[in-house]
Amino acid sequence: MAQEAPVQGGTLVYLEQQPHTNLYPPAGGFYPNSGILNQITDKLTWQNPETLEIEPWIAESWEINADATQYTFKLRQGVTFSDGTPLDAEAVAKNFDVFGLGDKELGYPIAEAINNYDHSEVVDPQTVKFFFKAPAPGFLQATSVIGSGLVATSVLAQPYNELGDATKIIGSGAFVVESEVLGQSLNLKAREDYAWGPVNLEHQGRAYLDAIQYIVTPEDSVRIGALLAGQADFIRQIQAYDEPQVEAQGYLIHSASTRGVNNNAVFRPENPLVSDLRVRQALTAATNTDEIVQTIYSAHYPKASSVIAATALGYVDLHDKLAFDQDRAKAMLDEAGWVQGADGIREKDGQKLELSVYESLPQPQSRAMFQLLSQQWAQVGVKLNVLAGDAGSAAVDRLDPLKTPVVSAMVGRADPDVIKSNFYPTNRDALLQKGGLNAAATWEDPALNELLLAIASEPDNAKRLELTGEAQVYLLDQAYVIPIFEEPQVFAGAPYVNGISFDAVARPSFYNTWLAPR
Amino acid sequence: MTRAVANRIGQALIVLLLAFTASFLLLQALPGDAILIKYQNPEMGLSPEQIAEIRILYGADAPLWAQYGNTIWNFLQGSFGYSVQAGVPVNTLLATNLPPTLRLAALGLLVAVVLAFCLAFAATLAPFRWLRNLLATLPALMISVPVFWLGIMLIQIFSFRLRLVPIINPNEFQALILPVLTLALPIAAPLAQILIRSLDEVEAQPFVSVARAKGATRRGVLWRHVLRNALLPVLTIAGLLFGELLAGAVVTETVFGINGLGRITEQAVSNQDTAVLQAIVILAALGFVIINLAVDLIAPLIDPRLNRKLGADA
Repeated sequence: MAQEAPVQGGTLVYLEQQPHTNLYPPAGGFYPNSGILNQITDKLTWQNPETLEIEPWIAESWEINADATQYTFKLRQGVTFSDGTPLDAEAVAKNFDVFGLGDKELGYPIAEAINNYDHSEVVDPQTVKFFFKAPAPGFLQATSVIGSGLVATSVLAQPYNELGDATKIIGSGAFVVESEVLGQSLNLKAREDYAWGPVNLEHQGRAYLDAIQYIVTPEDSVRIGALLAGQADFIRQIQAYDEPQVEAQGYLIHSASTRGVNNNAVFRPENPLVSDLRVRQALTAATNTDEIVQTIYSAHYPKASSVIAATALGYVDLHDKLAFDQDRAKAMLDEAGWVQGADGIREKDGQKLELSVYESLPQPQSRAMFQLLSQQWAQVGVKLNVLAGDAGSAAVDRLDPLKTPVVSAMVGRADPDVIKSNFYPTNRDALLQKGGLNAAATWEDPALNELLLAIASEPDNAKRLELTGEAQVYLLDQAYVIPIFEEPQVFAGAPYVNGISFDAVARPSFYNTWLAPR
Repeated sequence: MTRAVANRIGQALIVLLLAFTASFLLLQALPGDAILIKYQNPEMGLSPEQIAEIRILYGADAPLWAQYGNTIWNFLQGSFGYSVQAGVPVNTLLATNLPPTLRLAALGLLVAVVLAFCLAFAATLAPFRWLRNLLATLPALMISVPVFWLGIMLIQIFSFRLRLVPIINPNEFQALILPVLTLALPIAAPLAQILIRSLDEVEAQPFVSVARAKGATRRGVLWRHVLRNALLPVLTIAGLLFGELLAGAVVTETVFGINGLGRITEQAVSNQDTAVLQAIVILAALGFVIINLAVDLIAPLIDPRLNRKLGADA
C-alpha cells in the first residue's frame, strides 16, 4: 500500500485514553497533550527520528558559539500563526523567554528541557539570539521537542490556569483547533495555507487529512472494539495482551520508542534497607527481566540493557551488569548480613528486608510488572509490597525515602540531557537527593551530580556522549537503578490509515497521514 | 405554610453550609493536594522553589481559615475557582458537564420508573403463579449486575456485534440509548422490588376485599385503590435514588466516554482537585435538598393524611 499515491481529504477518528490537561507546550510531556500539540504547533528545529540529527524547520539556519552560551536562529519568511499574526523573531523570543524563565505573575512554570537560560535578543524580524548563563549544549535539541512548540504571543499573555482550553492554543501547525467539548472530544481542521513543514520531509504543503477528531474513550475494550468495528481509525494505548486480537483481524500495531531513560526501578539510597550497595546489587541480580518482558509485555517492549534506551543518544550496552543470577543474589545478601527468617524473609538486627513501591499509573502494566518483580525478589528472601494508593498518598509517600525505597521512573527525550533530567536533584530527582524534592533529605552523591552537570554543559558533542556513557556505567555500578524495559507508546490503526509518523520520542504526527479508499 | 417553607429553606442553607464545611475539612485532611499531585509529578520536572511559587499563586499557602473564608466568599459571588488538573475555570467545567448529566439522569430515572412499573404489574397480574414468581425474582438479579459490566456488554452486543448503534460519533438520539439503559436497569430493580412488595401488602388490606366484594375486577382495584396507596414508599426512596443516579453516572459516563458530572467527579477525586470537588459537593447537596423538598410537597397529594401532620408541625 505504501507505493500508492496519497489521497487528500477525510477525517481521522482518533480515540484517546485520557483527556488533555493544560496545553502550555512545556506541559506536553503528558501523552494526551503531546498528541494534540504535535499537530497544532511547529518547532524551531526538527529532530530526524531516524538519525536524531537536528534539521531546519521554522529556523532556516543557526549559529552556536564555541562554549554553547549563545544561539542565533535565522527564521523562515512568511510563517504565520493561525490567527494571522507573523511567526517572527519577536514571537520566538517571547516564547522562549516564557519557556526559559517562566512567568510568576501569570503562573507559567519553567520548561524542563531548557537549562541555564538568560535572555533573548531580537536582532531583526527574522533573526533571534538567545543567551545562556552557562553552556547549554542541549538547547539546540530542546528547540525541537514538543515542549518547545511555538504559540502566538497572545496565548502567553493569558493566565497559565486557563490553557486547558484547547481553542485558546494558537499555533502555526498544519492543523488548527476548530472546536472542543471539554474532556470528551476535540476537532482539528487542516490549515489550507500551511506551507512550512520541516524542509527535509518529502511531503510539503497542507496536510492530506481535512480533519482529525479526538474522542476520549477511557475504557480499553471500548477503544479496541470501536476500532475493530470500523467506528474509529486510530487509537492510542493498547495493552500488550490486547495486541494479538488487534493483529489477528488485520489491523496494525504501531509502536515507537520514547528513547530516553528506560522504565527503571529506582532505589532511594537514603533508606537504610537499600543504602548498602550489596543489597542493591543483590536485587539487581535477583531481577529476571527476560521473564518480565516475556510474561507481561510483547515484542514491542524491548528488554532494557542500560539506563537509557538502545536507540537513545550516547547509549552503551551494559547488559553484562544486569545478568540474572539468583545464587549470586543470595550470596550477596548473606554477605551483607541479611539472614533468612522463619517466614522466608531476610532479617538483620531485628529488621525485615521488606520494601514497598507504588504502581505508576501512566506506565503500561506497572502493577503487574512490580508484582512479578515481587515474586522474583521473594525467591531470594526479599519482600516487595506493591501499593496502589490514591494519587494524593502516592504523591506524598513518593517524596519519603522511608516509605518508598523503590520507585518507577522513566523520561522520554532524545538528548543526553535526559539522564540529568531524571536524576539531578533540582530536576526530577528520582533518587531523592539532598537539595531536591524531599526537604528532609541528607543523602547525596556529589560524584554523580558532577557527572550529570557535565553532560548538560559540555559543548563538545563527542565528549558529551562519552560522559553520557560514563553516567550509565556509574548508575549501574552503584546499582541505583534496575533497568527493566524500553518504554514504547503503542497505538493501533486500521489498515487503510497510511503515513503515520512518530517524532523522536514516540509522539504521533498526522501531517503525512492519509486514508486509502476503503 | 409560608413559615414551613421558610423553615425548609433555612434548613437547606444549613445543610449546604455543613456539606461545604465537611468536604473542605476532609479534603484538607487528606495527604497531598491537587497542586502537589499535578506539579510534583516527575513529568513536570519542577524544582521545589518553583512548586512553592505555584502554591503562592494558587493561594494554597494562606492559612486554613482564610482559604475557607475566601472559598465561601467566591462561591457566593458565583465563582468556583480553577480546576488545577484541567486548567480551566470550574464554572466552564460545570457548564459543559452538568446539562448532559442532568439529561442522562432524568431519562435514566424516567426509563427506570417505566420499567419498574411494567415489571411490578406483570409480576402482580401475570396469569400463572410460576410466571409471577419468576418475574418477582428478576429485580434481585438486576441489582446484582455491575453497572460497569452491563455497559460494556451492551456496547459489545448492540454496537460492535449487531452494529445497531454507533458508540463513536452517534447522533443525539443514538448517543442516549445505551447509556440511558445502562443507568436505568440497576435503578429500576430496587424500584420494582419495592413496588411489588407494596402492591402485595396493600392488596392484603381489608378495604381491597371490600372493593372486590362490591364487584370490582382485580385490575380495576389495582388501578383505582391499590396503586395510589403503594406509591408512597416508592416516592420516599426517590430521594435516595438520586445518589444512586450520580454513582451510576460516574460509571456510565466513563464506559461510554461521554462527558458529564460523574466523570469529572471521578477525575477530581483521583487528583484531589479541591475546587471542582467542592463545587460538586454543593451541587449534590442542593440536588438532595430540592428532591427531598419535592418529595415532602408531593407526598400529601398522594396521601392526604400526611397533610395534617405537616400542618401540625408548622
